[in-house]
Amino acid sequence: MNGLHGIIFSYEKRTDLRELTEIRSAASIPFGGRYRAVDFSLSNLVNAGVTDVGVVLHGRYQSMLDHLGTGKDWDLSRKRGGLRVLPPFNYQKDWGVMPFRGKIEALFGVRSYLDTIRQDYVALMDGDLVVNLPMAEIYENHIKSGADITVVCGNDSFATEGGSYFEIDPEGRVTEVLYNLHHPRGYRGLEVYILSTALLRDLVDECFAKDQYSWRRDVLRAKKDVLNLRCYIWKGFAAQIRSIQEYYDRSMQLLDPAIRAELFTPERPIRAKGADKTSTYVGSEGRCINSLVAEGCRIEGIVENSILFPGVVVEPGAVIRNCVLFKETVIHSNAHLAYIIADKDVEVLEGRTLMGHATYPIVLAKGSKV
Amino acid sequence: MKKECIAMLLAGGQGSRLYVLTGEMAKPAVPFGGKYRIIDFPLSNCSNSGIDTVGVLTQYRPLELNSYIGSGQPWDLDGSTGGVHILPPYMGSKGGTWYKGTANAIYQNIGFIDLYDPDYVVILSGDHIYKMDYSDMVARHKAAGAACTISVMEVPWEEASRFGIMSVNEEDMITEFAEKPKEPKSNLASMGIYVFSWKTLRRYLTEDEADPNSENDFGKNVIPAMLGNGERMAAYRFAGYWKDVGTLESLWDANMDMLSPESGLDLHDESWPIYARSVNAPPTFLGEDSHVTHSAFNRGSVLDGTVENSVLSSNVRVGKGARVSYSVLLPNTVVEDGAVVEYAILGEGCKIGAGCQVGGTPESAAPAPWGLTVLAPHCELEAGKRVRPGIMLDRNGEEVSKK
Repeated sequence: MNGLHGIIFSYEKRTDLRELTEIRSAASIPFGGRYRAVDFSLSNLVNAGVTDVGVVLHGRYQSMLDHLGTGKDWDLSRKRGGLRVLPPFNYQKDWGVMPFRGKIEALFGVRSYLDTIRQDYVALMDGDLVVNLPMAEIYENHIKSGADITVVCGNDSFATEGGSYFEIDPEGRVTEVLYNLHHPRGYRGLEVYILSTALLRDLVDECFAKDQYSWRRDVLRAKKDVLNLRCYIWKGFAAQIRSIQEYYDRSMQLLDPAIRAELFTPERPIRAKGADKTSTYVGSEGRCINSLVAEGCRIEGIVENSILFPGVVVEPGAVIRNCVLFKETVIHSNAHLAYIIADKDVEVLEGRTLMGHATYPIVLAKGSKV
Repeated sequence: MKKECIAMLLAGGQGSRLYVLTGEMAKPAVPFGGKYRIIDFPLSNCSNSGIDTVGVLTQYRPLELNSYIGSGQPWDLDGSTGGVHILPPYMGSKGGTWYKGTANAIYQNIGFIDLYDPDYVVILSGDHIYKMDYSDMVARHKAAGAACTISVMEVPWEEASRFGIMSVNEEDMITEFAEKPKEPKSNLASMGIYVFSWKTLRRYLTEDEADPNSENDFGKNVIPAMLGNGERMAAYRFAGYWKDVGTLESLWDANMDMLSPESGLDLHDESWPIYARSVNAPPTFLGEDSHVTHSAFNRGSVLDGTVENSVLSSNVRVGKGARVSYSVLLPNTVVEDGAVVEYAILGEGCKIGAGCQVGGTPESAAPAPWGLTVLAPHCELEAGKRVRPGIMLDRNGEEVSKK
């Protein structure tokens, strides 16, 4: 049995994802032509040999439940362990209705689950993180370094909505924990942590006894001098999906072969749910360039610099540029779209024109008909 | 566990007319349409028709097929009663033999069928591309009170002598059966899909086995014996798309047909889905200079060249300046920069070096005879090689004859 356990947080948080999170949590946002954001953290864990993963849910989680199913797509449908979906169950105070205020509160909400963890170490991850981390290496590193908590950071200070940032000393120990910065500095935290299961239980109980709910304020920041917090710096692609702009910019980065090669490295494949669809067909008059295209699409118009999810239809004469079109979007003939993010089942009627801008992509909500 | 109807799928054939493509795998495991394997069609038809118990009779090179079928989960055939079962020949206390013919294969599995005590058994082939509701055929069988129902389709009269031809009366009951007749009396061809009442079939199989002169084949022995004895034999007319993909040409044709729904093979139609065990790979990327027209592709490919009138399986790479036309590329093939592939079937994992010319148009071959160019799985061609139209190469790049 692998000694690492995974907990993925997929509860509702304040984000700027507008229409995309009207019907789902950030962790189940479609990304990269065939994935949901949570596929990345699940695959990262499974690829490190993790067999037991709990997913903490709260708010708009139906889409997440549909997606996860039994966990089979990640080989997490097991007799012992495997996937555990954790909707709020330790109802106290107003948790049934109020969103969790922080990770500690979320963990206390599943406190009895924490006691059932069979492994000595736990990896905490956010479901809205798109990355391909070598979790096995990070775990090994955690044990070798003697850290109490390993904090995984990106090596940039890319501004992300509600991001955490860490300053470290030359030995890699965290010296400062910052958040809600106007001008980010330090390393950007990816909200991926490794610590021992025993320490996690203690921290949750201690914080809860003091009516504290915030992981980064009440644990990381308050205890940075007491506990040994060490950074693991990840130099590759790491996107936290927290605003429409970030979603759009990060999606478009996938058109870069170097980024795809790294995010989709065959060594650590990203697993996703299958989509029983046939092959994609590009028609005689169709033209599709510099685009990422999933299966089951029918392209008879022009598609450039775009990302198409399964089953998208682009009729003759339609022109799609710099767009992200979710599953089963239908663009009728002679419609023109640029800088549009179309959620599932959107239909754009004949001859319509919709233009956003690289700095202001327009989102069409699920099922809308333009 | 009593079942009203179960299916037996004959998947043991070598598929010798697919030559190098079936050198390492049984015919039903051959990839099709960019995403499928041939066996996905009968398995999905079973699942969609409400048949939840399927025996798959394997014999020739079954490894690829066995691992592909696995638990049957992709076709929803992993229920707790029934499901898909792989049935290779096995030893009994009195020894055992290879499957000698289609009827003998079923005969050897009478024990398996009896486990489900079915009223009806559907006999299917693992080398046909079609969408068909077997429950409708079983309904026809019941309504006709038949011992055997054979699905038939009208074929052009001039081609009728290539098929097993059924003559029928005004109630569409079969009066005569002729295997590849020189002068066909009808143009209703057998599709090799049968529904039998199990009790009757069980008796005929036992009698057939006892006959030392029998070839133990449904078409040659069992069906004629039943007709000869005056059993009620019904024809079930099928009008949709159906193709036997037992030859390289027909396999290529069927792949081209899936590009044009007018052919009748509409795989985008989700009312009768064809399921497959899918490959996990990111979506396909079409590069800045790519030019893909009238073609199909699946996951994991990177296309930087020209692809026209072709069907590409998953994880294919077509390099810059390369051109693939009128071809079928099976999974994991690589066509490097500047290479040209025309009228070809490239087996899994083939690698075409930069600047190669593989195959050609019918016009380019003249006056020499033209044919499809076929490369065995894992055949690798060094840069700049030429492979003439109609040539077939094995995995070491040696020419083999299509005889």
